[in-house]
Amino acid sequence: MSAPIKGNTTSANPTPGANSYSFTHNQNTGTNRLLILQLTMSNVRTYTGCTYDGVAMTQLYTINRGGLSQRMAFFYLVDPPTGNNTVVINFNNSVWNPISIHARSFTGSGGIGNEGKTGGQATPNTQSLTVSDDSLIIATACSVNVVSTIQIPQGDNRTFATHNTNRQVGTGAISANAGFSAGTENIRTTSTSGSVTNDRVEILGISSPATNTDGDFFMLM
Amino acid sequence: MYYIISKIELDGTDSLKYSDYATTESDEVAIQVNEDYDATLGKFLAENRTKLNIGEASVSTFFETTSFVYEARTQVDNVDDLNLLSITEFNQL
Repeated sequence: MSAPIKGNTTSANPTPGANSYSFTHNQNTGTNRLLILQLTMSNVRTYTGCTYDGVAMTQLYTINRGGLSQRMAFFYLVDPPTGNNTVVINFNNSVWNPISIHARSFTGSGGIGNEGKTGGQATPNTQSLTVSDDSLIIATACSVNVVSTIQIPQGDNRTFATHNTNRQVGTGAISANAGFSAGTENIRTTSTSGSVTNDRVEILGISSPATNTDGDFFMLM
Repeated sequence: MYYIISKIELDGTDSLKYSDYATTESDEVAIQVNEDYDATLGKFLAENRTKLNIGEASVSTFFETTSFVYEARTQVDNVDDLNLLSITEFNQL
C-alpha cells in the first residue's frame, strides 16, 4: 500500500464578475490520478457545477454556512486528463464577491474517502476524521477573523493559502506526505478570535491488490 | 510558487473576462499589481457590490474610462507549457 503522491496546486482569490470562472490547472501524469477543488464564496450565489477539460467533476458536498454568509463546496475528478487544462466553475448568477479557490492534483490515489463538516465553533475547533491506512487529509477553514492555524493531525501545523472572500478563508492545508495509519485523527482549526469552521476530507491511498492465492477456490457444478 | 498575472476586461455588457497574461515569481511585483487593482476595479466592486448583486449597477461603468486592469491573485507551483511572458518588474506589464 502507499499514500497518494501530492501534485500541482492552483490557489486563486478572484472576483469572477460573471456566471462562471475559468482557470488553468496542470494535472500531473501518473496512474490513479485525482483532482480536488475546494471552494468558498458568499452565499448570495450557488455553485451549479464544475468541469475540468470539459469533464464534469463530482460534487462531494456544498454547504451553506449561514452564520458566515458563505457557501463552501468540494468537487473532485477521478483520473482527470493530464497537463494544462481548464477548470470551469459555474454559478447560478454573476458572482461579484471574491471566491476562494484551491485545486490540487494527486497521483497514486484511491479516490475520496470519509469527510466531515463542522460549522463555526469557538476557536480552537477540533474535530475527528476516521481514515484508512495510507490516507491523507485535506482541510479548509473559514472565519470572520483571520484563520491562524490548521493542524493535521492536532499539533502539526500545515501550510495553507489565505484568502479573503469578505470572510477569512484558510484552504489547501494537507497532512504530511506519509499517510496515516488506519484510525481516527483529530484536525484542529484556529482563528485569531471568535469562531471558525472545520471541513476535512480523506484522500485515499492505494490498497494492496487483491490476490487469488490466499484461499481455496471451489467451482460448483 | 509563481503568480499568474491575469488581464481583466469587460466581457459583453456586464461581465468580466479573465485571461492569463504573464507570470512572476516576485512577491513585490504581485503586491504592486494587486495594489493597483485594489485602487481601481477592486474599489469599484467594493463600492458597488450590493447593487451589482441585484442588477442595479453595471461593471461597464468602470470600463468607460479604463480598458483593462491586471490582478495577481492566482498562485501555482508549475508554469510548464503555459507559454506566458515571465516578468521581474512591474513596468514590464
